[in-house]
Amino acid sequence: MAYKFPSEEWIKEYQKAINTSDAYKQSGSTWTAGPVCLVVTANPSIGIEKDVGIWLGLHKGVCEAIKIVSLEEAQKAPFVISGDYSRWKQVVLGELDPVQGMMQGKLKLKGDLPTIVRYVKASQDLVQCASKVDTQFIDE
Amino acid sequence: MGGYKNRILEIDLSASRIEVTDVADEDKRRFIGGSGIAAKLFLDRFDLRADPLSPDNPLIIMCGPLTGTALPGTSRFVACGKSPLTGIWGESACGGNFGAELKMAGWDGVIFKGVSEKPCYLLIEDSHSQLLDASDLWGKDIYQVTDILKARHKGGRHAKVFAIGRAGENLVRFAGIGNDKGHFSGRTGMGALMGSKRLKAIVVRGRGTCEPALADEYKGLRQVLIKKVNEAVPAQALRQMGTDAGMDLGMMTQDVPIKNWTFPPDFDLSANLGGPVLAERYLKRVHSCYACPIACKRVICVEDGPYRTEEGPGPEYETCCTFGTMILNKDLAGVIKANELCNRAGLDTISCGSVIAFAYECFERGIISKQDTDGLELRWGEIDPALKLIEMITTRKGIGAILAEGSREAAKIFGKGAKEFLVEVKGLEAPMHDPRGFHGMGLAYAVSTRGACHLQHMTLYIEQGMSAYPEVGLKSSYKGPLSDGKAQMYLISENLGVPCNSACLCIFVLGCLSATDFVDMLRVTTGFNHFDVRELLESGERINLLKRTINAIMGIRREHDRLPKRLLTSLSHEGCIPDMDLMLKEYYELRGLDEMGRPKRGTLEAAGLKDIISRID
Repeated sequence: MAYKFPSEEWIKEYQKAINTSDAYKQSGSTWTAGPVCLVVTANPSIGIEKDVGIWLGLHKGVCEAIKIVSLEEAQKAPFVISGDYSRWKQVVLGELDPVQGMMQGKLKLKGDLPTIVRYVKASQDLVQCASKVDTQFIDE
Repeated sequence: MGGYKNRILEIDLSASRIEVTDVADEDKRRFIGGSGIAAKLFLDRFDLRADPLSPDNPLIIMCGPLTGTALPGTSRFVACGKSPLTGIWGESACGGNFGAELKMAGWDGVIFKGVSEKPCYLLIEDSHSQLLDASDLWGKDIYQVTDILKARHKGGRHAKVFAIGRAGENLVRFAGIGNDKGHFSGRTGMGALMGSKRLKAIVVRGRGTCEPALADEYKGLRQVLIKKVNEAVPAQALRQMGTDAGMDLGMMTQDVPIKNWTFPPDFDLSANLGGPVLAERYLKRVHSCYACPIACKRVICVEDGPYRTEEGPGPEYETCCTFGTMILNKDLAGVIKANELCNRAGLDTISCGSVIAFAYECFERGIISKQDTDGLELRWGEIDPALKLIEMITTRKGIGAILAEGSREAAKIFGKGAKEFLVEVKGLEAPMHDPRGFHGMGLAYAVSTRGACHLQHMTLYIEQGMSAYPEVGLKSSYKGPLSDGKAQMYLISENLGVPCNSACLCIFVLGCLSATDFVDMLRVTTGFNHFDVRELLESGERINLLKRTINAIMGIRREHDRLPKRLLTSLSHEGCIPDMDLMLKEYYELRGLDEMGRPKRGTLEAAGLKDIISRID
């Protein structure tokens, strides 16, 4: 069954994928820097009326919580990565490396860059988890 | 014409004679400046077959048209000549403040010919230049001589110093030249060339300015470019972590070489040696070259322990690899100590660390033993033997005399199959980016005009996805471990990177800008009418062909455009290696080279280099 991205159903599957990933369990095992929020910026033409935040409560290799939040709530996370729908679609499909995306300005980062750099493998593993979710893209 | 002072100092050290020369205005536009103009001067006026350490080999120090402006990334200058390490065209660019000061003193560059009877240094104060006795400075390290000369020539503007250390004096073939302690012309042994001339240092003070041709447009452009650079994430990463920001990212992408290029990624190494660790444990402050908003330079200090250092310049990414991952050393303090020793001696940390890693492997394999190393046990993971080898190389003592010749020559002397473990191209040890993860870099190493090089082109940034230049056909996403299409990508990135070096623009800054921005920088500075992206890329092609012609005259042929066996050996079962046959075939066709690797007659004609065709036959 394919899950619409972004949606409550999709994020629950994503959390399962993260928490069953041995790779992420290892690469994120020392992560204590707090939640990461992924923000899909508004795009009314495909039905995203306002910014959507995906709040990942990451701690020591485990995704303890996941929820969809408003932009205002998202900004409270110590790490916020923002991009438009097409960019996140590329990330989920494994076509855009998130760190490269940040380097090229396709994704915007708010947060401590050295911490992100230190956990570059963990970020790759998180993307791997996203690509494992059977995803239905709303622009297709 | 803006951007040029239209004066080059020409100094005959044998005759203690100082003259002034220049190149034709049309050649400035055709070859831009920096190593482009240096190569033109070299080919036109000097004996290309001279021994690199003979008086007939010139040392040419050149600025570019952008050097000394206040546009971002315009600190740079370059030292050129026939390389003592490779025996072919050599060049090594440098940041810092020396280049801008030389321009402000009213000079585009300095050519040194001959050899001084006794140690000397050149003092340039605006239009006045003089050769002075350096007997009391001979034997001093770069930090010492810099302090002495700055104190000796204080008053008014602070003097800027470009000096060699003991490695250059002792003709170590990978000796570099240091500017104000923290900036180096490291590659290709230009410090040995300087040492062969008994030239200890150049001291410059300039009170002039570098005015752009189109002053009004320049001001607006400067603001726009600084904003762009400041907003670029790669620039932010460099500012926060220095070039060693690349360690963690590179480990992920298999860019980082480990254990003399034999091990797969090891995240424990990057966790101990990466930019975040350097910043957290040892960083005192950041430092920038002239007119640079990035400030990637580190000022660090190891305050206690066996590797205690003075507060001073910190190691770059490359050094963290050569004295870290390459010998399996996880102790960053040890890397910092090695960096300080190399800086003081005036050694290229890439070549020095690489030749030491090569020696470690030869030791492990029994090719050399404790009898050869004065009792040193070269054990993987241990930095102490490497620190001792740095001193032995600097002074050419014991096995240091062999290693000081560079890894290619050392392998010949060691014999017993040692050449199997070399990682060099045309004699230049490869920088710390693994072509097995990025095949375009493999082509770059193979065909670059100074040997294995990561800086004469934009491939590192493009292939790793940090930069994109869609306006010249360089897209934002290339698969690293693929060879298809890489020749085309490399060719364009070379045509862009070569004029970047010739203009003396920092490649990190160009990595944050567009090709159009670069064109605008050159146009407003020089006032070149109708200068556009097409002409920029054509100049890159022309300069590359000029240098390739120089190398062809020196005997470089297709068989030299290759990767060493080790880089054509996969690190894992699923790994792949660069398809060199494919990429070289495509590159030769695109670049217009004959089957021997020389520029074809028609290629040179089309590039406006008809006048040098006769030289290649």
